[in-house]
Amino acid sequence: MITTEKEEKQGSAPIRQNADSPRQKLRALIVEDNSSDVELVLHALRKGSFELQSDVVQSAQEFTARVRQNTYDVILSDYRLPGWNGMGTIEILQREALDIPVVIVSGALGDVKAVDCIKQGAADYVLKDHLPRLPESVRRAVREKQLRDEHRHAQEELARSNRDLEQFAYVASHDLQEPLRMVATYTQLLAERYQGKLDQNADKYIHYAVDGAIRMQILVKDLLAFSRVGRQEAVPQPVDCNLVIKTVIANLQAAIGESGAQVLYENLPVIVADHGEMVQLFQNLVANAIKFRSAAPPVIHIVAENQKRDWLFSVTDNGIGIAPEHAEMIFVIFKRLHTHEEYPGSGIGLSICKKIVEKQGGRIWVQSQLGQGSIFHFTFPVKKEVVNP
Amino acid sequence: MIAGMKSKAEVLLVDDNPADIDLTREILSKCKLHFHVNAVNDGVEAISYLHRDGNYADAPAPDLMVLDLNLPRKDGRAVLRELKSDPHLAKIPVIVFTTSQASSDISRSYELGANCYLRKPGNLHDFAAVVQSMAEFWLGFASLPHKEKR
Repeated sequence: MITTEKEEKQGSAPIRQNADSPRQKLRALIVEDNSSDVELVLHALRKGSFELQSDVVQSAQEFTARVRQNTYDVILSDYRLPGWNGMGTIEILQREALDIPVVIVSGALGDVKAVDCIKQGAADYVLKDHLPRLPESVRRAVREKQLRDEHRHAQEELARSNRDLEQFAYVASHDLQEPLRMVATYTQLLAERYQGKLDQNADKYIHYAVDGAIRMQILVKDLLAFSRVGRQEAVPQPVDCNLVIKTVIANLQAAIGESGAQVLYENLPVIVADHGEMVQLFQNLVANAIKFRSAAPPVIHIVAENQKRDWLFSVTDNGIGIAPEHAEMIFVIFKRLHTHEEYPGSGIGLSICKKIVEKQGGRIWVQSQLGQGSIFHFTFPVKKEVVNP
Repeated sequence: MIAGMKSKAEVLLVDDNPADIDLTREILSKCKLHFHVNAVNDGVEAISYLHRDGNYADAPAPDLMVLDLNLPRKDGRAVLRELKSDPHLAKIPVIVFTTSQASSDISRSYELGANCYLRKPGNLHDFAAVVQSMAEFWLGFASLPHKEKR
């Protein structure tokens, strides 16, 4: 039952509308059991300068078949229908995973029902007594749907491009390792074999090459670690942060012993997270506290405070501190505040921390003054414990 | 160990990277042990060598095999599976020597019958240490199976 409406001569109105705006193409599905009401709806839309292509259905089965077959810009549905009602169209659309705006066109329903329609997902509600309002309502519903589509498209595009970028970082850092190993190994062999046998410049050049290769190896290794965060879809499990710190202390044994560092912690909570990532997070923070120590032996204090919705973790140190103007920059990948001679490193550690925390819906920041130690804070949402089946 | 008591051990390196073969040979040559090193560059060659096919008719049977995992044509996992399921070859100790750190590669290699899994370190000093220790252990301390006369 397809009626294609060509432009019709209807007095002076269409001429004025044509001058203002071209007729908008509209594919509408009308759900209506009263044929004279169908005519009134079509007439109203035509007057609203739509170039209309419309189908009319009455039953839920017909409706379902139509939306499966065709694509529509809008659905105009009566509320009271034989055997069902206009809100049934929304249920069917949801079931079919279709996003088509539904405008309820009905006799008086009363405010409560009208509000209900909108709440349940109708784009608008137009009284049959006020059909001249219909074109504007339809136009708005269609526009909103377009914006929704554009927004969704942009989000999908962003997610895809992020995925591509992560994939690129992963593949690049992974595949760079092998040739880099050749450069590092063989420049080292050169250095070992020919040190002092060429001239002084040669020794210096070889040293630069060896140093560069080693630095790049660290960079590539850390970049790989960064791109690995969140790649493995590990199932979050209860993680005892006290045990995490024990592991961290064991992993950093050499640095702790060498610097005389003390790592203090008390009553840390059990949270729902990925164990490996929690080790990475705390290890990066503790290792930084040791690396950026002041003249005094490092004292690192780890505490957690329950703030109802979040756990607030704080890692306090007595190190060299960070100027407040650099407080944000340090979390950006590759950003460093020191030369390689002062402090070696890739500038990736804290961005890994940030990625781990934010992936879980938390936040990380630093509170510090230059020369007065630092406190790294991060939040971790208090999640419901994993329910055992 | 008294030099001359043993016949020279035969080591087969299977690696597609000539730089790694050279380096491994170089480090092995510094060891005070008696052995002979042969090398092939991919999995198909390795299997031909073991079966003494074609060009390898006179190849000595290896006492120890050092196998990379990622190889052209036939990869190291397939070589390992074939070797360990062949009753004539299964007793040859195989040392997997690769850059892969993937726990799946480590488990799979042992499941397939690898005798040892060693990761290639990224710098010369560690690389040399690993190859030296491997040679000292497997060619010095370890007792290797007698070779069958074929």
